[in-house]
Amino acid sequence: MTLPDFELLRPTSLEEALAALERCGPDAQVIAGGTDLIPSMKQRLFTPRVLVDLKRLRELDYICSEEDGGLGIGALTKISALAESPVVVERFPVLHEAAKTVASPLLRNLGTLGGNLCLDTRCLYYNQSEFWRASLGYCLKKDGTRCHVAPGGQFCWAAFSGDTAPALLALDARVQLAGPRGARELSLAEFYVNDGVVRVAKAPGELVTGIRIPAASAGWCGVYKKYRIRQSIDYPLAGVAAVMRKTTDGTCLEARVALTGVNPAPKLVNAAVLLRGRRYDATLAEEVAHEAIRTGKPLRTSASTPEYRRHILRVFVRRAIEQVWRNGH
Amino acid sequence: MNKEPIRLRVNGRVHELSVPPNKLLLEVLRDDLGLTGTKCGCDDSSCGACTVLVNGEPQMSCLMLAASYQDEEITTIEGLAKNGELDPLQTGFCEEGGAQCGFCTPGMILTCKSYLEKNPDPTEQELREALSGNLCRCTGYTQILASIRRAIELAREGRKVEVSKL
Amino acid sequence: MSATSPIGARVPMIDSVDKVTGRGKYTDDLTLPGTLVGKILHSPHAHARILSIDTTAAERLPGVKAVATGKDTPVKYGILPIGHDETIFAVDKVRYIGDNVAAVAADTAEIAEGALGLIKVDYEVLPAHLDPERSMQAESDFIHEDKPHNIEKEYHHHFGDVEVGFAKADYVRDDRFDCAEVTHAALEPHSTLANFDPDGSLTVWSSTQVPYYLMKTLAATLEMPEEKVRVIKPLIGGGFGGKSEVIPLELAAAVLARRAGAPVKITYSREEVAYAHRGRPRTIVELKTGVKRDGRLTAVEARIIQDGGAYCSYGVVTILYSGQLLNAMYDIPNVMFDGYRVLTNKPACGAMRGHGTVNARFAFETQLDMIAAVLGIDPAEIRRRNLLKAPCRTINGLRVLSYGYPECLERVIERSEWRAKRRKLPFGKGIGMAGSHYVSGAANPIIRSLMPHTTVELTLGRDGAVTLYTGAAEIGQGSDTVQVQIAAAELGVDWKQVKLVAADTARTPIDLGSYSSRVTFMAGNATLDAARQARERLLAAAGLALGAESENLVWKDGVFARRNNPRPSIPFAEACRLACGAEESLKFAGTYSPPPEAQGGKYRGAGVGPSPAYSYSAQVAEVTVDVETGQVTVERIIAAHDCGKAINPLTVEGQVEGSVWMGLGQAVQEEMVWEKGRLMNPGLLEYRTASTLESPPIEPILVESNDPEGPFGAKEAGEGSLAATLPAVVNAIYDAVGVWITSLPVTPEKVLRALEEEKRRTSL
Repeated sequence: MTLPDFELLRPTSLEEALAALERCGPDAQVIAGGTDLIPSMKQRLFTPRVLVDLKRLRELDYICSEEDGGLGIGALTKISALAESPVVVERFPVLHEAAKTVASPLLRNLGTLGGNLCLDTRCLYYNQSEFWRASLGYCLKKDGTRCHVAPGGQFCWAAFSGDTAPALLALDARVQLAGPRGARELSLAEFYVNDGVVRVAKAPGELVTGIRIPAASAGWCGVYKKYRIRQSIDYPLAGVAAVMRKTTDGTCLEARVALTGVNPAPKLVNAAVLLRGRRYDATLAEEVAHEAIRTGKPLRTSASTPEYRRHILRVFVRRAIEQVWRNGH
Repeated sequence: MNKEPIRLRVNGRVHELSVPPNKLLLEVLRDDLGLTGTKCGCDDSSCGACTVLVNGEPQMSCLMLAASYQDEEITTIEGLAKNGELDPLQTGFCEEGGAQCGFCTPGMILTCKSYLEKNPDPTEQELREALSGNLCRCTGYTQILASIRRAIELAREGRKVEVSKL
Repeated sequence: MSATSPIGARVPMIDSVDKVTGRGKYTDDLTLPGTLVGKILHSPHAHARILSIDTTAAERLPGVKAVATGKDTPVKYGILPIGHDETIFAVDKVRYIGDNVAAVAADTAEIAEGALGLIKVDYEVLPAHLDPERSMQAESDFIHEDKPHNIEKEYHHHFGDVEVGFAKADYVRDDRFDCAEVTHAALEPHSTLANFDPDGSLTVWSSTQVPYYLMKTLAATLEMPEEKVRVIKPLIGGGFGGKSEVIPLELAAAVLARRAGAPVKITYSREEVAYAHRGRPRTIVELKTGVKRDGRLTAVEARIIQDGGAYCSYGVVTILYSGQLLNAMYDIPNVMFDGYRVLTNKPACGAMRGHGTVNARFAFETQLDMIAAVLGIDPAEIRRRNLLKAPCRTINGLRVLSYGYPECLERVIERSEWRAKRRKLPFGKGIGMAGSHYVSGAANPIIRSLMPHTTVELTLGRDGAVTLYTGAAEIGQGSDTVQVQIAAAELGVDWKQVKLVAADTARTPIDLGSYSSRVTFMAGNATLDAARQARERLLAAAGLALGAESENLVWKDGVFARRNNPRPSIPFAEACRLACGAEESLKFAGTYSPPPEAQGGKYRGAGVGPSPAYSYSAQVAEVTVDVETGQVTVERIIAAHDCGKAINPLTVEGQVEGSVWMGLGQAVQEEMVWEKGRLMNPGLLEYRTASTLESPPIEPILVESNDPEGPFGAKEAGEGSLAATLPAVVNAIYDAVGVWITSLPVTPEKVLRALEEEKRRTSL
């Protein structure tokens, strides 16, 4: 399959990249690893007139421990680098676990953190060739007016399917953006928009430059559980990140649980607050799991069935909580 | 579309080419340089048949715009045998049946080549992890794993096999 | 044979260096000066009448060199003489989403794709038939006008008397099995390069398992004499049956090349591969089996419906195999088979590894375990009690000579520690067993003729060069290597000394192709025949020079000599020179045709199923089931395969492992998902062939029953192991958690549902 025509710009600095984006306006799109964008362009899901290649922005490729104990990670950090980073392994294990499940080793060598965070939402009726989509009459998310997942609705349910976002959401990370009007920071909860078309609260011309994980999240126990049919390459059909800070006797001081693959945005499970101040309690873990399936709303956007993905979400949330509660540091 | 001059370093040689910006490294290797050992097996970047080494790291050339990789050292399967001698991985794949139809083989070998440089004596599970982005439809992976074990032995013994002698 | 016979040696495949260095050329790696890119326009409708096609705008696009539609190419074709229902491009109707409507050749892929968008087609959409059980009830809008109720073919076989058999049974059960559609997913997408010479002759390089049939079909559809068509098969990136008949792009490329007056190459996108398909149909098996209290089978009745898609393809053969090969595994005194090959508005199903037998075998071997469980018999024991008494002829007329199944069973029982594990593993862990078999080539050719099924030529040069010319199609299974080994063994030379020229219809004799596991047996026998003739000639020449009768000569350590007197001796090359006399080289043609005794009965449909020899497989799978998520992990598979004789154990093991693994994919994760005739997973991201991570260790055990008619005793190796894997896994799940899964693939959801039902049932 061919790629559409475009002009390729290869800026060497953030400043240059932002200027290019501003100059080209909505016709421009950025490319880093290309693992999401290139297949989508082959399918004509995107046909930008200009592609701004961020590969030479070496300044955005870093994993940097900050003085206060927090961690900064540049948007152009390869997922493989993230997965292998000793500081991530040691102090933010949930991010390590999530990063090492992203796609496959080959794709992790190309894919970047920024790309994984900005991953387009996915749907079986959307991630298809131009021919396929045309034969169906297109869909709400792209070129059409009907949603085939929830017919009659005017809302796009395409699912956010990144693995690192739920981990970072659970770690209370903030995303750093740079744009024509300067730099700003958003919490990940603010960054993601639960709408398959809108996806992220990124202004025109803005770029994700990195994320910052606060010192307060360092050293928490964490696990990431991913449901997929093939144990490599696949996107999550449902994913759960759970983190917990505990006292030495195992009392939960604080816990967060986040979901992916089941909504247009990665989501925190509010019920995780129930765990605070409690010692290990299997029924409580089950209770949070039960609440989690009110947050996670899988639909027919991917393989497997919504019913099963809801089931596995509940099992995975419970298991993840049990694991962080009973094991680890 | 307009062609633009690019310079690619492939298997130690520098190539000055003129290609449109929407050409993938996979296409340029195959169509412009005649290096057809790099294969295209899918369109959704899932199979890994197009794997090449970029500065020693395995990456999928179906995802890489050729113009974006002008500063890198690219190695394809054609660049692996040196001075008429097969790489131990190539010998291993011949002797232990790692290549049946051979279509995943170049990508499989290159991924493995990179991995063994970092971890010369991996466990089976580590190998399975390392190869999990390269799909094979023929072998069920059993003989691929055996081929790699043979390659590790060959490398350890320092046994060299000439291309013509296998 | 010399002391270092290559028979039984782990010889690396003769093309392996080409494959590991990237030097080997597959079709898409080839190009000719001025080669154009061909692209095909596909139907967006599952069923529609074509009212008009306007190609004017496409033809006017700069860079477009040819456009072709159905009106240019109305000749019907199909792999089976009774199934000529395809045209290169749709003439009147389109019959599935993806059907071929038109094609363009242009200077670049971009221009060709652009031109497709300029072709205007007016359709009148017709009701689509999508479910096989409903399609066969249809009263109107038939997919093919000459196939009422959309039934491609039905067969009703009755051998013995099942009523009597069931009456004698102590236990009878009836189960319904439903196996989802799967596809080959060979890693190489189909590709064809076509070129016309100025004299009007056509050369086609193509990713085909059947160069000979492709040559014939090109000639027929392009209305050319066969001698003007040459088909060359380069390296093939996997076939598994998906390239075992003529695929539309092969003809489209030739049509475009003729119209453009330039070479044209078409390489399918992965999505187009899915539309070309020819995979294993969704199959519904309603199976009724009766047994005596001791587990002895008394009768089997099978009603099998296959969802064949929109064209016949191999369909008639597929449905027949599913019934005929209920036999030749066990001793079944009474068998009834009702088979329906049904048309639906989806891509055509065809032959896929284990052709026709896999889903029926899954049903049979699973139900056998269900029966064993009810009767309290060990699954190994119920199989032992029903073995054939070979050599024998089955009730439907299949001749079985070598029968290594009993040994296969014993070997896997031993290796797996079956007795120590069955019903003794902790809840959630289980072990299961099953068997399967397959033909070593079909005893009857697709196109009836008196011609041998295969001819192999061997030349001896006066310098001692040995060259084999074979039409057989190496597709990664190692058939070229096996032929070289056989020739080398018979001539007593090093296998490296034998050169091979293969699969070029202008240079190599006719072989019917690589399908139904026929090459080792048939081309192997033809090679052996040719090599025997050559050997006799060499012995005669050497004998003349040494003054001895050829039976008093020995061929040892690279020289011919008198039996009692090692000197003087004649080296191989010298013997060749002597044998050649005044000739530059000598040519020996070996042939193979199956013996009449192997060709089966005389009833309607009797032609499919007979084979000169059957391979056998027994397998044991071990699984872990997570009862909370329903996820099944296959931990290990042991597969004993009776290949007659392993001419090359390296490649035989590779074939067994690959078959088992492909069967496992169908068992637990592969599925073509359809919605209103639309394929929801037309790529490798969503059609999930297994990665290294969920692929278990597979332990092959080779059993050698030495078939009396196979070359050096060899028979099938590349398909027969596939079918046993599916029931072995399902039977292991039963051992692990006590539920039967009768629908494939075994998704975690199905396991959970079965566990819930079981819980409800036992709490009542």
